[in-house]
Amino acid sequence: MSEPASQQASVSVGHHQVWVPHPRRVLVFAARVGLHELCALGLGVLLFFVTASCAVYAQSDSPNRSILKGAAVEYLYPEQVNVPASKPTTVTLHFRIAPGMHINSNKPREDYLIPTTFSIPVESGVRLDAATYPAGSDLTLPLDPTEKLSVYTAEFSIEARIVAAPGDHLVEARLHYQACDKDACMPPKTITVPIDVIGK
Amino acid sequence: MHAEPSYNKRREALSSVRRNTLVLFVVLFILATFAWAGWANFEYRRQANEKMLAAAAMQGELVADPVTGTMQYNSPLKGKPAPAFVLEDLSGKKVSLASYKGKAVLINFWASWCGPCKIETPWLVELRDQYASQGFEILGVSTDDIDSDNPKTLASEKADVQKAVTRMHMQYPILLAGSTLDHPYGGLDELPTSFFVNRKGVVVAAQLGLTSKDDIEANIKKALGATK
Repeated sequence: MSEPASQQASVSVGHHQVWVPHPRRVLVFAARVGLHELCALGLGVLLFFVTASCAVYAQSDSPNRSILKGAAVEYLYPEQVNVPASKPTTVTLHFRIAPGMHINSNKPREDYLIPTTFSIPVESGVRLDAATYPAGSDLTLPLDPTEKLSVYTAEFSIEARIVAAPGDHLVEARLHYQACDKDACMPPKTITVPIDVIGK
Repeated sequence: MHAEPSYNKRREALSSVRRNTLVLFVVLFILATFAWAGWANFEYRRQANEKMLAAAAMQGELVADPVTGTMQYNSPLKGKPAPAFVLEDLSGKKVSLASYKGKAVLINFWASWCGPCKIETPWLVELRDQYASQGFEILGVSTDDIDSDNPKTLASEKADVQKAVTRMHMQYPILLAGSTLDHPYGGLDELPTSFFVNRKGVVVAAQLGLTSKDDIEANIKKALGATK
């Protein structure tokens, strides 16, 4: 059975004629097929896109261990603190260390190791009165079982006793550390710890 | 009498077509949105991947050895002349890499605060003793911070390096680089990092991080064996 000329359409692509359904045909098809089937078809196509995206994502990941770089420590929270103005107040700052890595604690056992230290620049409107660091946990490298290191791993927090002048202060505090994994060390690094301190 | 049911049927059919048209357009819109999001995501990942590859080309990468399974440092310097340098040693004497031409050289980047370097150094000391007679030398390049503008700080920094040298019995030349060789030697984001240079001054192997004494020895032999 030949179709009416009004329901046939084709588009020229180079030397090829590509068949394109007439919009009215599509509507009639939709009416015949019904809403549920159409939705099922749509979901099927959607599932295909999701699967394809996952495949692309999986391909983009390299199986090799990458070279250590960037910041091994990330500041988590708080972003903002309200403290009584001109009065020493303790604020607990939370940090996270990249998986498989460790940093020296504030009191490493050997004097040649670089301790983790927290500081607040002067003239930021907030003064660091004192910082209390957690005790490090013991770590022994497989190739040097004679030496115990005092380190932080995973998440740790520092209790900073601060004195804020009245007003809103965008403080760029600093955490200085030196990170290693079991096979290599990264150079010492200082990250910014941004905290909005409101002294009331 | 007969016209009314027919009219209603046509009306129902028309209404059904309208409803389906709406549903069709909504479904098409959703699909188009997902397709666009997928494409945008793919493009973002492609660009990020290109940037990463460009950075890796500068720095090299760690790849698993198909035989041993150990991670090998595939440095872009491999097969190329080792970047030249002239650095001061702990006594202030200038030492150039060029002056070691004709010898197989292991350029070992380390730091006084580096734990894995402390494990590796005794191996290096032993291997130097073992292969020195064949024309092998190690240049221990310290990447400890060096503030050349401040004599007081410089003296203290040198003292820290000297302490580590004494502690680890490093009897080979120790040069002070600070961060001056980071760029020519591919970033030096990890310590220890070693480059094995043959007698012609060409890098024949590189190691990143702590490997094993056997791996280091194999690369020393590679550097020594390049002589013709």
